[in-house]
Amino acid sequence: MPASGSNSAVAVWTILRKECRSEWRTRYGLNAALLFALASLTAVSFAAGRLGDRSDVLAALLWIVLLFATLSSLSHAFVREVEGRTMLLLRLVASPTEIATGKLLFNVLFLAVVEVFAVPLFLVFTGAPPVRWGPFLAVLGLGTIALAASSTLIGAVIAQTRGRGALFAGVSLPVLLPVLAAAVSGTRQMWSAHPVAPSLRLLAAYAVALLAASLLLYDHLWED
Amino acid sequence: MLLRLSLFVWISVAMVVALLKAPLVPVLLETTRVLYFHIPCAWIAVVALGWSMLHSILYLVKRDLRHDDHAAAAAGLGLLFCIAATVTGALWAKAMWGAYWNWDPRETSIFFVLLLYTAYLALRSSIQEEEKRARLSAVYSVIAFVAVPFLVFVVPRMYDSLHPDPIINRRGKVDMDPMIVLCFNAMLVGFTGLYFWMQSLRVRVSRLERRAHAA
Amino acid sequence: MDRNWIVLGVSLLVWGLLFLWLVRVEKRVKELERK
Repeated sequence: MPASGSNSAVAVWTILRKECRSEWRTRYGLNAALLFALASLTAVSFAAGRLGDRSDVLAALLWIVLLFATLSSLSHAFVREVEGRTMLLLRLVASPTEIATGKLLFNVLFLAVVEVFAVPLFLVFTGAPPVRWGPFLAVLGLGTIALAASSTLIGAVIAQTRGRGALFAGVSLPVLLPVLAAAVSGTRQMWSAHPVAPSLRLLAAYAVALLAASLLLYDHLWED
Repeated sequence: MLLRLSLFVWISVAMVVALLKAPLVPVLLETTRVLYFHIPCAWIAVVALGWSMLHSILYLVKRDLRHDDHAAAAAGLGLLFCIAATVTGALWAKAMWGAYWNWDPRETSIFFVLLLYTAYLALRSSIQEEEKRARLSAVYSVIAFVAVPFLVFVVPRMYDSLHPDPIINRRGKVDMDPMIVLCFNAMLVGFTGLYFWMQSLRVRVSRLERRAHAA
Repeated sequence: MDRNWIVLGVSLLVWGLLFLWLVRVEKRVKELERK
């Protein structure tokens, strides 16, 4: 399949639209993710209590909730294809990298929707201190991209094994740890009126490194 | 056989000299002895990791299953040495600073490496088909390779900024007696020899298993 | 000095046992390879 620049972009866009459409048709995945996010943030914020003065703890709890959301919902990206056997069809239309990029963009979008719902609720339930929106959105944004990049890649590996949820969580955790650390650090810096730039740089560097590796690796992931 | 025997003698002599003749390091005192075992274990855990990742990349490039044998064998051995390093490190920490675990940067690094090893081996155990197992675990190895610099050098040092109550456990720069340095290096060399011997044995066993399966 | 000897003794013992075990494994592997 000749992959000239515009052809690639079209392929990626098509796959993204396809993902959105199939997700929207049932909304099962999204509903489950939102419900899970609600459950985990409720558990966390209820158990922790009002932590208005402990923004360091709040930062950690927020990202743990988002980590849980990632682990529970993003493992499915490729599983659907493998189980529905639509992978072969997709491969006829697009290269592995294009498929993966489409799914990555979908995962970023998916996480963003979950965050729009979960983050404000979290802030309210825990009585969080006022947020500096610029830095906060930057950390959230880059953190989400980094989370999605890691999970999409690992998800593609796991989809071909017999293990699913628990294996995905265990296998992705080491790869997600740098994101967690940098995102928590950035959120704390946001709340303590320090510059978030160092954390943003770390998140960006990690995301870029992973994305670069992905470009090389996706072709090796699906053979046959 | 001569080589094996010399390895035995080499490590035995290093141990004897280290424990009987070498003086104690000023700050560490009685716990000095641990460093002859603990640090070589950590060193091998890292060597094995590098060896495993190298062969994973070689497998992806060449698709020769012998590279996968090496990668898997190295991961198994690396895990063992990594557990040994973590446990001896925790015991050392307890003796030195009163707590088994402090999230000290080095403790954190070795623990993260342990997580990577277990994840890699868990992934391998979830796939039955030889080629698929080799390919997918090699891919994961490369992903881990990207994560390692962050996990070993960046993230552990972030703990202090995340948790501003410092526990005084900096291993100060000590002037090491040359005898200590000698024994220590001897142990490093000895452990490396031991590792590669165990590695070659494991690879030969894998090859035999494959031959048996094919038959 | 006493404890030192115990540590040394245990280490040498463990190392000796490990070494013997590895030699046995290698012997067995060589056998199987010859077949």
